[in-house]
Amino acid sequence: MAGIGLSGVTKTYPGGVTAVDGLDLTVHDGEFFALLGPSGCGKTTLLRTIAGLEQASAGTVSIGDRDVTRLAPGQRDVAMVFQDYALFPHMTVLDNIAYPLRVKRIPRAARHDRAREVGAGLDLADLMARRPAELSGGQQQRVALARAVVAHPKAFLFDEPLSNLDARLRLSARTFLKRLQRDLGITTVFVTHDQAEALAMADRIAVMDAGRIRQVGTPREVFGRPATSFVAHFIGSTPMNLLDATVTGGRLTLAAGTLPCPADLPDDTRVTVGIRPEYLTYSKDPVEDALAGTVGIVEHLGSSSLVTLETDGAAPVGVVVEEGAEPEPGTRGWAVPRPGRVLLYRAGGGDLLA
Amino acid sequence: MLFVAPALALIAAFLVFPALWTLYLGVLKYDLAGSNAAAPQFVGLGNYRDALTDPRFANSLLLTVAFVGLSAVLGQNVLGFLLAAVLRDAASWVRGVVNAVVLLAWILPGTVVVFLWQALLDRGGGTLNALLGTPGAAWTLDHPLATIVAFNIWRGTAFSMLLYSAALGAVPRSQLETARTYGAGPLRTLRDVVLPHIRGHVLTNTLLITLWTFNDFAPYMLTGGGPDHRSETLPVYVYRTSIEGGALGYGSAISLIMLIVNLAIALFYLRLLRRRSA
Ligand SMILES: Nc1ncnc2c1ncn2[C@@H]1O[C@H](COP(=O)(O)OP(=O)(O)O)[C@@H](O)[C@H]1O
Ligand SMILES: [Mg+2]
Repeated sequence: MAGIGLSGVTKTYPGGVTAVDGLDLTVHDGEFFALLGPSGCGKTTLLRTIAGLEQASAGTVSIGDRDVTRLAPGQRDVAMVFQDYALFPHMTVLDNIAYPLRVKRIPRAARHDRAREVGAGLDLADLMARRPAELSGGQQQRVALARAVVAHPKAFLFDEPLSNLDARLRLSARTFLKRLQRDLGITTVFVTHDQAEALAMADRIAVMDAGRIRQVGTPREVFGRPATSFVAHFIGSTPMNLLDATVTGGRLTLAAGTLPCPADLPDDTRVTVGIRPEYLTYSKDPVEDALAGTVGIVEHLGSSSLVTLETDGAAPVGVVVEEGAEPEPGTRGWAVPRPGRVLLYRAGGGDLLA
Repeated sequence: MLFVAPALALIAAFLVFPALWTLYLGVLKYDLAGSNAAAPQFVGLGNYRDALTDPRFANSLLLTVAFVGLSAVLGQNVLGFLLAAVLRDAASWVRGVVNAVVLLAWILPGTVVVFLWQALLDRGGGTLNALLGTPGAAWTLDHPLATIVAFNIWRGTAFSMLLYSAALGAVPRSQLETARTYGAGPLRTLRDVVLPHIRGHVLTNTLLITLWTFNDFAPYMLTGGGPDHRSETLPVYVYRTSIEGGALGYGSAISLIMLIVNLAIALFYLRLLRRRSA
């Protein structure tokens, strides 16, 4: 059982790209931790640095209470599942799963018993004699997981473990992976660029951008109060409305209307107002403290719809509307923020003010 | 049929005819000069019987096996693989330099290379003697087999290296790294991950360099087969008996034996290669 600690970790590749930049992070023992960020932000590099496959250019990495910064990957007692699963094509499923035990020189019979046991737990019992090429993507993924489980490491490191599965399978694999992690209680860091995946699975999330961490928190915190406008924009299946505003006499003046200001700010402060479309209530009649616009596009999301209100010359405002209550395009509409759901960011991509 | 006719004609003229001609010469007592040159005698399998009972032929065959085994199967193969493996993770400029040097050895004309090696090994002012501080050491005379083995390794390693570089490039990095995170050392990774991936390349490479080395005539230019037949591999033996010794019929018989050995080697490797898919 072990947590993971990173302090001042920097990784600069020989070409001069700094993929991870002076990063501090603590992953608690037994936690299911997501590293979330857009492609190229350094997630894989950070994970590989924890595994020891990349050597940190600066800073320290610890697993449990051991400083592993200078240790080889094999001595760190972690198991990594790669995006392509990295199954050995010439070995059977059984031998693939048993491989970590083979490296540890466990006798053949014992390691096969253990591999069968773990494989059965992951629904692989009937596939033990097959080669990886004879498996579906979901089965291959479970074999890779079983191999990691057999190793019984201090930590699991998963690099986009679900990204090679089709959309429907991905949803069931999420549940499956989360249950597996909870049952085993092994500290897990998993990398994803899919915010929905991170929100659904993780105990805590670190949102990364350009080699740095922008926010660490529970899914609720990261979704409800994004620490920067970058995080606000990145998290959420419908992007958050980020609207320019100025403070005048305790109110926010936007292109689409005025709202009460949730914080005490001096006049003429320029801010970015963040409101999730889910936290706006649509009204087809004029109301106080609302954003007004002309209904543009209506996108069906399933049990609700995303209505885009066009405002002259400024960014459009997205509102989520109940199924069946969608307005006609071209009509006027108003969007009222729910109390306590208006966030203010420093103008120009800045931090959360209130 | 019409379109392949020219190709067939060429193959007949340059491959089939010489082969049949060799077969024909093999059953004759046919010399370059003398009465047997004007009117070759039919001797049936006599040439073959002579060859198979000739201690000089046996010596030559053994030497060839040693030459092929040491310089190609072991030397070029292992060295080529090691170079490819080491260069895979080396800085790009190191890779460039080593590639250039090794390739140069391969593309230079044989005569030029032999000339360089003579300068290297020369008894009087040779570079090697100067380097080792062993003036007067006669490498080609004292160690003729070692000389041609070293020569052939030096000359042929580039091919194996290039082939293995390509093969290693196709081994997925994630599989190597998986083995590494589970604690597998380099040797275990080689055995469990790398070799299964490149087995076909190893067999193909070994087949090619075996055949090339088996039929390689360059040793003659370096040692002339001597001293005392100690570096007389089969191609050299054929040349010395048929061209220098004038016994064309006998030489043809040995050539045919070589051809059969080549075929046997090729079939053996192909069997191994086929077993892979089973
Ligand atoms: N081996 C490498 N050599 C040089 N640059 C690299 C290497 N791997 C990744 N990078 C660069 O580092 C940055 C982060 O990459 P990566 O960690 O793979 O991001 P992510 O996994 O978040 O998509 C990218 O700009 C990428 O181009
Ligand atoms: Mg990545």
